[in-house]
Order: sequence, then structure tokens, then C-alpha cells
Amino acid sequence: MLKIDDIHVYYGAIHAIKGVSFEVNDGEIVALIGANGAGKSTILKTISGLMHPRSGSINFCGQDISHTDAYKLLRTGLAHVPEGRRIFLQMTVQENLEMGAYINKEVSQEDLDRIFTYFPRLKERRKQIAGTLSGGEQQMLAMSRALMSHPKLMMLDEPSMGLAPILVDQIFDIIRELHKAGTTILLVEQNARKALQVADRAYVLETGVITLNGTGEELANSDDVKKAYLGG
Amino acid sequence: MQVLQYLINGISIGAVYAIIALGYTMVYGIAKMLNFAHGDVIMVGAYISFCVTNYLGLPAIVSVIAAMGVCTILGIIIEKLAYKPLRGTSSLAVLITAIGVSYFLQNAAQLIWSSSPKNFTSIVTMDPIALFDGRLIITGEVLVTVLISALVMVGLTLFTGKTKTGKAMRAVSEDRDAAQLMGINVNQTISTTFAIGSALAAIAGVLLCSTVPTLMPTTGSMPGIRAFTAAVLGGIGSIPGAMLGGILLGIIETLSKAYLSTQFSDAIVFSVLIIILLVKPAGLLGKQVQEKV
Repeated sequence: MLKIDDIHVYYGAIHAIKGVSFEVNDGEIVALIGANGAGKSTILKTISGLMHPRSGSINFCGQDISHTDAYKLLRTGLAHVPEGRRIFLQMTVQENLEMGAYINKEVSQEDLDRIFTYFPRLKERRKQIAGTLSGGEQQMLAMSRALMSHPKLMMLDEPSMGLAPILVDQIFDIIRELHKAGTTILLVEQNARKALQVADRAYVLETGVITLNGTGEELANSDDVKKAYLGG
Repeated sequence: MQVLQYLINGISIGAVYAIIALGYTMVYGIAKMLNFAHGDVIMVGAYISFCVTNYLGLPAIVSVIAAMGVCTILGIIIEKLAYKPLRGTSSLAVLITAIGVSYFLQNAAQLIWSSSPKNFTSIVTMDPIALFDGRLIITGEVLVTVLISALVMVGLTLFTGKTKTGKAMRAVSEDRDAAQLMGINVNQTISTTFAIGSALAAIAGVLLCSTVPTLMPTTGSMPGIRAFTAAVLGGIGSIPGAMLGGILLGIIETLSKAYLSTQFSDAIVFSVLIIILLVKPAGLLGKQVQEKV
């Protein structure tokens, strides 16, 4: 479904991603783990068109998207829930969801109902200004907003960042549910333990290079990963 | 009674500032730039209206529509040619370019229409209303100006609150990258904003010259700067803020001209701005968004 082939990404003169290749197959949950600053978010931004690679290619569903503008990509079925949620804080919950459905002709009640079954809290708060939601609710809103467009592939950047453990569990439960419902997921996480539990396959990124890959279980049991990311 | 008269005149000129300020504030909110050429678009609008009525002999309303049409196109072209290539560069570069566009428009107007002032005929033909035995006079211009600015305000509020395009504008203004991830074409949204702002500038130009009938290539620059002040005063980026700031500025200007000093009226207006910004840096209705983790 998604195939990244030897991409190099720069921030000005800084060579942030140095030849990364990986793929996400239809129906998988793939995790990308690594320390802060390894380049995980940069990779997602490059896939979703907010940045462009200097060389290498990104292929999504048979189409080369390495230089496609970000706003065109959602229509191809690629949704990106960015780091820090980036919901529209001054708009209401409902309006945020409407923005998620911007590419649809209209906001369908069916979609809203489907989202509210995943996240009942949002239904209670649909008239509320998004900036007044708690961190967990904001993350739920960010995910819901992306779901409004019926993406084939959903990229989640640090969905557990800054959340209490109980909320982290909830978010990961929902990721599993979404996956069961047929959404392919590319997950970027610093919480490596959680990420490796849900992931079919995972890649370890270190300063712009992929150093390890394998199934979630393999990596969770690998000594290198344990030492570096799972606290011994 | 005299105070009331000044107050009404102040609200009237303030309503013009408010319409101009809306253009500044919308462009700032969405494109994150100060379009200092905005004031000169007003002047172009007034000249177009002047030409259509005086040279073509068409009715006033046609001249207003023509002015709006020309200014809309002008706004879109300015954005495409001057500002779009600079997107993503330093805001200083954009600011200097905007000042350049402003001089360009003034000098182009001087070439086309010469620097000698034209006597703008008011588009309002209504007779003034005299109240309290003629001690209080409300001119047709005052009524029309206040009415139109109220309509503009209501229209824009509905547009940004209810329509899909309007909501997309708010989304772009809040977070450009996130808006793109929603499938919103940011370039097109910015272009639309310039179009709306410039159409409003045309209306403001016609109203301004109907009240103060001297039309010159520099006619737009001082009202433009005052309206910019109004936008900052009300909280730049905020639509109701622009409206409130404009009206307040008009009242302060008129009252200080009447009671304090004509020469110092601008100094007084700008002092008020400085004081308010010291107390409330985001402006009167500006929001200071707090981020939550």
C-alpha cells in the first residue's frame, strides 16, 4: 500500500533522513519507533506532503506521491494525525469534525454517529470549543477528525504523548478497533513498549537511518531494543 | 447636542475604518502578513467608481459594483505576483514588498489619473435628516455608511461561521499545516481572502470619498494606516475586533479634533493605540490562545 524507497530529507542544510526505505502492507499496523529527534515525525510529514524528499520515492497505492501537495493527499485515502494533535483549538468539536470531512460533499450523520460510538465523550462535547478539551479528548478529536474522510491508511504521530496511562490504554484500544474495522495504520511512537504490542511489524529509526526491523514481537524481545527503548 | 453630533460623525468615519480594518485583519489572520498596500486598493476603488460615474455616466450603484470587481481582481493579482512567491520566506521580506506594492499603486494612479485632486461626487443622493430643530443633522452618507458596515459585519460573521469556505478560512488561519492535512487548498483560501478584502476595500473607498470628497493617489494611505491601527486596537485577526476598533478609532479621532487639537488628532489616536497595547497586548478582542498538553 505504502512504499518508501531510499528517501533523503533535509531541513535546509541539515540532512535529517538519510536514505530510509520501508513499506506498509494493506491491513497492517506498522510502528516506527526511535528516540526523540530520530526523524520519525519528519518521515510522516514527508509522506503526507508537508515536506518533500530531496531524493527517493514515496509510492502510495501505486501512485508516486513524493512531490504531491499535502492538501491533495487526503483525497487519495492517506490521513495524517500530526504530532501535538493540531486540532483547531478555537473551533467547536463539531466544526473540527466538519473540517475532517472537508473533502466530502457534505458531513454525513452516519459518519458522525460512527465516530461517536468510538468516542462517546466527543458527542457530549460537540458544541464545546476544542481548546477547552482535556489532552486525551483532544487526541480523540484529532483521530476522529482524520477518520471523517474514511482513510485507507492512517498515520498517527505520537498518539500517546502527554497522556495519563489509563488514557494511553484507551487510545491503543481504539487503534486496535480501527485496525479491526479495516484501516491500515502507520504508528509513530516514543512509547515503544505499547507500540510493539499492537504492531504487526516495526522499524527502529536512529538519527535518520533505519537500524532494525522485524515483527512487533521480535523487536520487543530483541536485546538491542530492550536496552535502548524498553528500559533494560 | 454638539457632542452627539460629533459622536455620530465619529461612528460614520469609524464605520469606514472598520470596513478597511476587516480587510487587514482577514488577510493577517489567514496569510499571516500585513498587507500595507490595502489602503491603496481603497484609492483604486474610489477612482474606478469616479470614472464610471463621471466619464461613462452610469448610475452610482453600477460604479460601486465595477469598483468591487476591479479591486477583487487587483487583490488577487497582487497576491499572486507579489506575495505568493515570498510565501515561506521571512515576514520582513513580505512587509517590505507590501510597502513596495503600495508605492507602485500610488504611482500608477498618478500616471493614469494625475496627481491633481478629483472632486468625488457622493454616491448617496438622500437628503440629510434634521433632528431637534436642526441642531442634530444626520446626513445620508452617515446613514448609508453605518448601514453598509453593519451589513458587511453580519455578512462576514455568517460567512465565516456557517459556510464551508468560511470555516476553511478559520481553519487555515489557526493552523495552516493542519488545514492542508484536511484537504484544504491553502493557496486558494489565501486568494479568496484577498478577493474578499479587496472587494471590501472598494466599498470603503467609495464610502470614504462620499464623506471626504477629495480624491488623490494618496487618498488611501492615511485611512489605511488608521484602519490598520483600528485592526490592531481591536485585536488583529478578529473580525468583531476590527469592527469595534474601527468605530472606536473614528470616535476618538472626531472627538479629539473637536475638543483637543486638529493637528494632534493623529498623535492622539496613535497614543491611544500604544496605551491599549501596553495594557492588553492582544488588542481589545484579540484571543490569546493557550496551548494544552
